[in-house]
Amino acid sequence: MPKCTINGRSIEVKEGTTIMEAFYQQDASIAHYCYHPGLSIAGVCRLCIVDIEGNPRPQIACNTKIMEGMKITNQSAGIKEGVKWVLDFHLINHPLDCPICDQAGECGLQEQYMEYGKYSPEMAERKVKKRKVVDLGPTVVLDSERCILCARCTRFTEEVTKTEELGLFNRGDRTEVGCVEGKQLDNKYSLNTVDICPVGALTSKDFRFRQRVWYLKDADTICTGCSTGCNVKTYFNKEGFFRVKPVYNEKVNGHWMCDEGRDIYKFVNLEHRQLKASIRTGSETFETSAGDATKKFSSFLKQLKSSETAVVLTGQYTVEEYQALVKSLKKSAGHFFHWNQNEVTEKAFDGLLLRGDKNPNTAGLRQVLEENKVGSDWKELETGLKDKKIKTLIVAGPENKTVFLDLANKLTLFSQAENLVWLSAAKLDQAVSGPKNFWHIPLKTFVEKSGTFVNAKGLAQKFSKVTTVLSEALTLSDVAALLTGDEALMVAEAKSEIAEAKIPLLADLHKRPDQVELERRKKNEFLYKRGAL
Amino acid sequence: MFELSSEALKKINSELSRYETKESAIIPSLYIAQSENSGWINTEVILALSKVMQIPESRINEVFKFYTMFNQKPVGKYHVQVCANISCALEGGRELAAHICKELNVKLGEVTADKRFTVSRVECLGSCGTAPMMQVNDRYYESLTPEAATNLLRGMK
Amino acid sequence: MQTKLLSEFYHLEEFCGLAGYKKNGGYKVLEKAFKMKPQEIIDEVKNSGLRGRGGAGFSTGMKWSFLPKNNEPRYLLCNADEGEPGTFKDRLMMERAPHQLIEGMIISAFAIGSEKSYIYIRGEYNEPIRILEKALKEAREAGLLGKNILGSGFNHEMDLYVGAGAYICGEETGMISSLEGKKGQPKLKPPFPAVQGYLRKPTIVNNVETLAAVKYIIRDGAAAYRKYGTEKSAGTKLFSLSGNVRKPGNYEVNLGISLLDFIEQEGGGMKPGRKLKAVIPGGSSAPVLTAAEVAQAKLDYESLAGMGTMLGSGAVIVIDDSQCMVDMLGVLTHFYHHESCGQCTPCREGTGWLNKIVFSILEGKGRLQDLDLLLKVADQMKGRTICALSDAAALPVISFVSKFRDEFEYFVREGKSKVRGELHAQMHH
Repeated sequence: MPKCTINGRSIEVKEGTTIMEAFYQQDASIAHYCYHPGLSIAGVCRLCIVDIEGNPRPQIACNTKIMEGMKITNQSAGIKEGVKWVLDFHLINHPLDCPICDQAGECGLQEQYMEYGKYSPEMAERKVKKRKVVDLGPTVVLDSERCILCARCTRFTEEVTKTEELGLFNRGDRTEVGCVEGKQLDNKYSLNTVDICPVGALTSKDFRFRQRVWYLKDADTICTGCSTGCNVKTYFNKEGFFRVKPVYNEKVNGHWMCDEGRDIYKFVNLEHRQLKASIRTGSETFETSAGDATKKFSSFLKQLKSSETAVVLTGQYTVEEYQALVKSLKKSAGHFFHWNQNEVTEKAFDGLLLRGDKNPNTAGLRQVLEENKVGSDWKELETGLKDKKIKTLIVAGPENKTVFLDLANKLTLFSQAENLVWLSAAKLDQAVSGPKNFWHIPLKTFVEKSGTFVNAKGLAQKFSKVTTVLSEALTLSDVAALLTGDEALMVAEAKSEIAEAKIPLLADLHKRPDQVELERRKKNEFLYKRGAL
Repeated sequence: MFELSSEALKKINSELSRYETKESAIIPSLYIAQSENSGWINTEVILALSKVMQIPESRINEVFKFYTMFNQKPVGKYHVQVCANISCALEGGRELAAHICKELNVKLGEVTADKRFTVSRVECLGSCGTAPMMQVNDRYYESLTPEAATNLLRGMK
Repeated sequence: MQTKLLSEFYHLEEFCGLAGYKKNGGYKVLEKAFKMKPQEIIDEVKNSGLRGRGGAGFSTGMKWSFLPKNNEPRYLLCNADEGEPGTFKDRLMMERAPHQLIEGMIISAFAIGSEKSYIYIRGEYNEPIRILEKALKEAREAGLLGKNILGSGFNHEMDLYVGAGAYICGEETGMISSLEGKKGQPKLKPPFPAVQGYLRKPTIVNNVETLAAVKYIIRDGAAAYRKYGTEKSAGTKLFSLSGNVRKPGNYEVNLGISLLDFIEQEGGGMKPGRKLKAVIPGGSSAPVLTAAEVAQAKLDYESLAGMGTMLGSGAVIVIDDSQCMVDMLGVLTHFYHHESCGQCTPCREGTGWLNKIVFSILEGKGRLQDLDLLLKVADQMKGRTICALSDAAALPVISFVSKFRDEFEYFVREGKSKVRGELHAQMHH
């Protein structure tokens, strides 16, 4: 355990710790671009220079391991001046197009220049011209002039995805990142390159020009795209949700997430949502509020035989919701079924993050069904519907329809029931005309509630509500409470082994800061600082 | 579509097993491919090599674009490379290049109309004691005067 | 003035082939080396004071002793990528005496316990490549390479690797990257090549002349080698003399001789009617010396370092009074801009910036503040990057501008050269 001092502060670090890591651990500020904790050390941006006592030349923090007794500083006049100049070297060929650049507001170059920059550029020559608006592939657009050649994206495709589409071609200041002509950046994790790009060189086709980042709020949650349960940050404002980015969690997703998961914000937005409850009895259809519809069904439910009533659950809801719903309906429903839309591919795993089970909480659902000793074979549902032994179905359908490829088939199957209650946030594309009576009760999506998901590895992760999108939508717990009249179930934290276990809230989990986000600084801080200059 | 000849494939295969790793064969293979493609390399060549060598095309392209001896544009039958670095510049290397361009009626880096010559100015070729000098294809021509260069080029058909 | 130790037989055509080389004492030292213990050879080289002849001038014996003391396979790389402008001595050595290099390499490989070596040669050197290929073939056929060389029990394979045009491959880790089939970009240090080099195995990279000199150190002993040269710069060195002198060429002399004497006596002095203006003493990266400084300079590592310049690769470039220093700096900034590998920001951007400023001066668009800007930019490029190319690009700028400032100021003010008047635009790219 070597001891050293960083800017005069004594610390002890683990053997093999680099100076950069020690700065992170100390929450001490240090300029850098090319260093990324999830990638190999490139040591090329030369911004993280520090003085080490007894060493005639500045050393780079990312590639220097701490030795006993080192006295390290990045506050000396020489280092401060050096960092200013290295930043200027980064900028001399960088276009000043911040007003039209998507990265503005979360740009490493902007932020670090504000903190460490020279503020007096001396470059009077013409900038190097490079390619602009290069279509790299289905997801990413490149602006080569903005690129500062930190080699993060090339290291990502080389080391993480091992797809090696990207290369740095030519040499000197003519170097350009790109794919070989006719080839594309096309892999299932390509958008991570946009996240790790410290400038606006790589931008997401999905997000570019849609919002200025300073008009977005963000909050952490769990990706519901598959059963890996990547920790993510969602970005939104009153117009809706705009994007999803990964948040570091060593146990789950490291620094990354897949491109599929990036789309989960889409079904959250109002244009894809069932806004009102709709009830059809016979040929008469009317709209009402979700609560009212649920109450109406509640009185209807009392007339039904429990043996003829069944509940179908998808793996898209929280443990707390399953618990509440199962408890409340245990008496009035005789059958509980798990609708597993990807039984065949469930166990598939690409070795990195992507899993075949496209539900966030299949494991949680199974545990709740087991705990309550309910759950029947899917065959029984099919025969029960066919033989008219099951007359009423309450289905907690998918909120993310795109991953339920069997949705239409299943709806046809469910339509054999006399009464069908469809609980889901998503608008249905087709009319459900089979059942005599049909309820569609709008639910909240994952960003609108708190709860727990259990991922494929059995890790339970607790997350908090991000925001409200559709205020009158219900959670399954709300539905359960309204059905039984038991207000206690309204509370999202129904009794459950998993829900009661002490799981730290996602937001409280240790996150390793990444310089791109510079989370420790509030967004407006630099504006404030500038005002004080 | 560019295809490597069977002879070139044989050479590339022997380079692939010559070194500790197959990546070391990229530079030798680029040389082999360049001579098969009239002295220059384009994307088709890179893709063909990638397929033969089982190395991602981006890796091969990085190497290709890094080294100056791999031509990114077509060149004439005779590639006249005149040294313009310091020792030659002191002894008239740049004037020699200008003279040759005038003589052949061609701009630097371009191919003559008859496709015979490309004239380039290059960095030090390690022939500083015999400046000015030029390299035409594989051969060095040293201690040149403009007249000597003219005579040499006239002899190249 | 010449001391022909390495170059004793360079005038003999037969010295190029195995038979002729053997006739003149070739491979006798190898036999002697095989009778020594590897550590004895290392000690001898260390005691000889031999310093790397490629440019950095680091103690060869010391470099070898950084190798880990275990049985891990290790590589010897001969740096024959001679690219430092003004340098052409390695080319001569390989053309005239390929076996001298091979013998020196086998002895060195035996000393450090390496069973595989490469000669990394620049791709433009077609003639030396052809000669070395032939010599390697001869050596293999004569059992001087392969298994159990000369019955010593020592196995060694040697191969040639041909580069493809990149100055940076002369930097030892750039060379290793290139040999590994990548762009020739220098690697982060640590780890140093002696610990993790080629394919992450311990690797020693030595210059052609360094490895050839090992032969003579083993032949005559460290003490005899130390008789040449000075205390801190032992031995002889081949100097490549070029530029505005009467008799440019390669000359082997004792380290420590006077630079002016060298130019006068070996180079035959200046051309008729011309006066000495400046000398770059150690290849284009070395800071330039004024005529006054040249009169004081000695050709050894320590005294040139004392004058703020360096011996480098031993390329002495002579500049006479007909030359414009702004024009010549333009040649150099163009070169470093062309050759920067592009990894490290200060070098990638700085070389381009310097070049643009110098060219705007040459185009008559310079501003007086550009001269100080050149110095500031160059100063911030020093010691900030993975390898020394950034320093190499910065040092000429600093020395040219500060030592010949009047010429630069004249150019800025008048829009033309103080020496040559209107320069033709075609002079520059």
